[in-house]
Amino acid sequence: MTGLILRRLAQLPFILLAIYSLTLALAWLIPGNPLLKPEGRQPPPEVQEAMKAQYNLDSFPRFYLSYLENAAGVKYLRESLSGEAGRRRERAEAAGLAPPPRYIFDLGPSLQYRDQTVNEIIRGSLPVSVTIGAGAILLALLLGVGAGVVGAVRPNSFADLATLTVALVGISLPSFVIGTGLLLVFAVWLQWLPVAEWGRPRDMVLPVVTLSLPFAAYIARLTRMGMIDTLSADFIRTARAKGLSETRVLLKHALKNAFLPVLSYLGPAAALAMTGSFIVERVFNVPGMGQHFVNGVQNKDLFLIIGVVLIFATMLILFNLAVDVLYRWVDPRIE
Amino acid sequence: MGKLLVPFLLLLGVVGAAVVSDRPLPRADFTFINRGDVTTLDLQRMSWMQDFRMARLLFEGLVRQDIFTWEYRIIPGVAERWEVSPDGLTYTFHLRGDARWSNGRPVVAGEFLYAWRRALLPECGSDYIGQFQLIKGGKAFTDWRDGALAEFAARTDVPDREAAAAALWDRTLGKFGELVAAKAPDERTLVVTLERPAPYFLDLLAMPCFYPVYPPLVDEYESIDARTGQRKFGAGWTKPPALVGNGPFELKVWRFKRDMRLEKSPHYWNAVSLSIDTIDIPTVEDGNAAVLAYRSGVVDFTTDVTADYRAEIIAQKRRFYEEHAAEVASLRAEGLDPFEIDRRLPPDPRKHIHVVPAFGTYFYNFNCLPRLRDGRPNPFADARVRRAFAMALDRQAICDTVRRTGEGPIQTLIPPGAIAGYESPAGLAFNPAAARALLAEAGWAVGQASRPPPGGTPAPEFPTVEILFNKDSGHDKIAEAVGRMWSQHLGVPVRLAQREIKVFKENLKNGDYMVSRAGWYADYGDPLTFLDLSRTGDGNNDRKYSNPKYDALLDRANGERDAAKRLAILSEAERMLVEEELPMVPIFRYANFFLFDPDRISGISAHPRQDQQMNLVDVLGDGKGAERARVLPARPGSFTAEGAEDAEPGKAQN
Repeated sequence: MTGLILRRLAQLPFILLAIYSLTLALAWLIPGNPLLKPEGRQPPPEVQEAMKAQYNLDSFPRFYLSYLENAAGVKYLRESLSGEAGRRRERAEAAGLAPPPRYIFDLGPSLQYRDQTVNEIIRGSLPVSVTIGAGAILLALLLGVGAGVVGAVRPNSFADLATLTVALVGISLPSFVIGTGLLLVFAVWLQWLPVAEWGRPRDMVLPVVTLSLPFAAYIARLTRMGMIDTLSADFIRTARAKGLSETRVLLKHALKNAFLPVLSYLGPAAALAMTGSFIVERVFNVPGMGQHFVNGVQNKDLFLIIGVVLIFATMLILFNLAVDVLYRWVDPRIE
Repeated sequence: MGKLLVPFLLLLGVVGAAVVSDRPLPRADFTFINRGDVTTLDLQRMSWMQDFRMARLLFEGLVRQDIFTWEYRIIPGVAERWEVSPDGLTYTFHLRGDARWSNGRPVVAGEFLYAWRRALLPECGSDYIGQFQLIKGGKAFTDWRDGALAEFAARTDVPDREAAAAALWDRTLGKFGELVAAKAPDERTLVVTLERPAPYFLDLLAMPCFYPVYPPLVDEYESIDARTGQRKFGAGWTKPPALVGNGPFELKVWRFKRDMRLEKSPHYWNAVSLSIDTIDIPTVEDGNAAVLAYRSGVVDFTTDVTADYRAEIIAQKRRFYEEHAAEVASLRAEGLDPFEIDRRLPPDPRKHIHVVPAFGTYFYNFNCLPRLRDGRPNPFADARVRRAFAMALDRQAICDTVRRTGEGPIQTLIPPGAIAGYESPAGLAFNPAAARALLAEAGWAVGQASRPPPGGTPAPEFPTVEILFNKDSGHDKIAEAVGRMWSQHLGVPVRLAQREIKVFKENLKNGDYMVSRAGWYADYGDPLTFLDLSRTGDGNNDRKYSNPKYDALLDRANGERDAAKRLAILSEAERMLVEEELPMVPIFRYANFFLFDPDRISGISAHPRQDQQMNLVDVLGDGKGAERARVLPARPGSFTAEGAEDAEPGKAQN
């Protein structure tokens, strides 16, 4: 097990390097000058060229290497070792000022939001997305596993058909429809829940529910299929023959096996849910990270695009690793 | 089974920790939505309206504008008084002794020079570098720096580039003192000499890009790039806790794309003028969410109503006005501030929407280059063709059936009534018959109606007109309407070309289009803010229009000392643009869409220039401040013709 974890962690930098290279290459091809604002005044052309050079946007190899140097922590190390960082901090403190922040993994400035670094944007928005995502996956598990078990116990019954239909709707209805509908009913008509605010538990209810439904639907189908398969297996017949209660058979013996496909789905699902959803964030005005995937590409904000993609990739790899570890722990047969 | 609970428990832990750690702030005195989030608070690099609104809260320039006077009177800011030399070229400012930074240190004259020098550096990328170059020697300084940077970048034989770059910076500082005619003889005196007399110079100084920054702080975040020799503008000094400002408020919290919290600054010299202590600015980007946030009482003021059903909200106010038609008419006759009119009508949530004409124009660009990007001859290089297309546009129909939000159609580039003493030309009205005749005169076949002259060769068919636009903000609907009008009235084939915003922008800059949508908001209270757009080689001249006669008119105005004569020359220049040359065709005047309860909120100005100063806000009935609504005085004669009332929703729309 330790070997697995170490091996996977050792692979992480290489996978990230490959993803970085690919993302940058694609993002570089997006048409347009990332330093231009979409509307309004533009600086003269020679100034625009000068600004490009500041960010190494005038040369792909130069950008490629300098980003790597900053993001991998080489620059941080160099500045720390040479004492330059310490001198700068002392100078700022002597003037009574807050010293500029330093990051080990410096993901660069945002080209469109000039006052923000990508590190700051991620630090501000990722916790929000993780909260909603964790809540959504939790709810999706409860709803999905519950519905799946109900459906599998009495296949083709009314309860089964009803859950299957709801699951189908959950998968196929886009979240801006579900989200806007929930907002209309619970916030505008009934006024049970707040609108466009963020920070209190009740602000999270609607976004979490909206985000969870597609995942819940998928989990319900996985659980149902797993349960139906498992319930016809020999060891279930044995368990029943031993005279175990039906609840015990279902929850202890059948669900344990039926849950395994759900568990392997949880890795990518959690990574997806916890890095934010553009639509859910927009409808409920949640300050999460999903918006930056879309805005980054729209603005050709190279640093931001690469930053959020790397975060997503890291989370995906780590969650998959966590799932693999859990998997072996739950089901020791797997090697 | 117990093992299966582990993922549940992990997730539950994450949610619980987040709920406990992330507590919202208590409610502020005044909460408003500032149109999405701020892009930058770096004064010399900003250009968005929402950034300006923030800058006016956190910083203060030499002078301010009194936005509750029709002439936008210049009033003291950091400068308590100033003198202008008789030739109109030299301004001497005397700084007040009690102007303080938010760390308690005094604001001194050199700090203005520091900020202005930043803006004049080519690598700063200031959008308003042209305005700074009005200062004598400003252009020479930028050009010198440009040349020096190019030379530095080209040199490969430098052993120690870092030291060489630092030396170049030192020379740059020296050059600024030598070339630029802005001096600080002592800490409280600032003397500025201009390249040419500019009656709008004080107006420029009220723009946030001319405000001072705190040099020790900014120095911490800027560095010299050894490769290019450029000054590198690091991000971050604009955020708390680092930020040091000199304005009425201090920025206490900025959670990007989430919210801002401002508190009254104890060091501001005019703190007694403030009627609120705290301001909250949540970020709400979705138009529907913004309206819901207002309706549910989360915010007191929404600066920009963009919801799809905006037209319906405005229609409700129109009905409200119709129910009180007699009262509204008599209040209007008194020349009252439109918000004050609302205040005197009975309370009703329908009156919370406000359509306020803005100092900006929506127009269509014609590419004026002789050839299109693909090498074909450009039919729009001919001014007659541009005039014909302009006259074939029914602007009223676009406002009434496409926009439906109360903006007024406009035939001039400069919104009438916003600049005191300026007389707007008439422009070209909708006249399809004349348009067809003009197009035929220019040598093009006009629809099916055109017949070749007896014995002559038939006129060529007009090439397909391609309308370039980006998909957002309803540009597509306008493009469809415009295209329909042109094919209907002129019989020309039209194709719509919708692009992503970045591509759209790039195509415009490269002259790679025939016709495109465009718009412009004014920066200062002078016609030049619009007219410079059509000057040969101007950075914002996307039409690539070039006419020596027009440039000469602008030059003549720049040399004219008599203010009235100068405005007359500029009016002639605009007449040339909107009646003869038509590099662009104005369509409607932009409007701002506000949501606030006039019975509760005061301090928002209805002046068409629309530079709001949120430090003037007073929440009526909260026991703080004057508790008396601020209003614009009755409108003077020069504003009556086509003033603020035009786009008021009460006006009949048909």
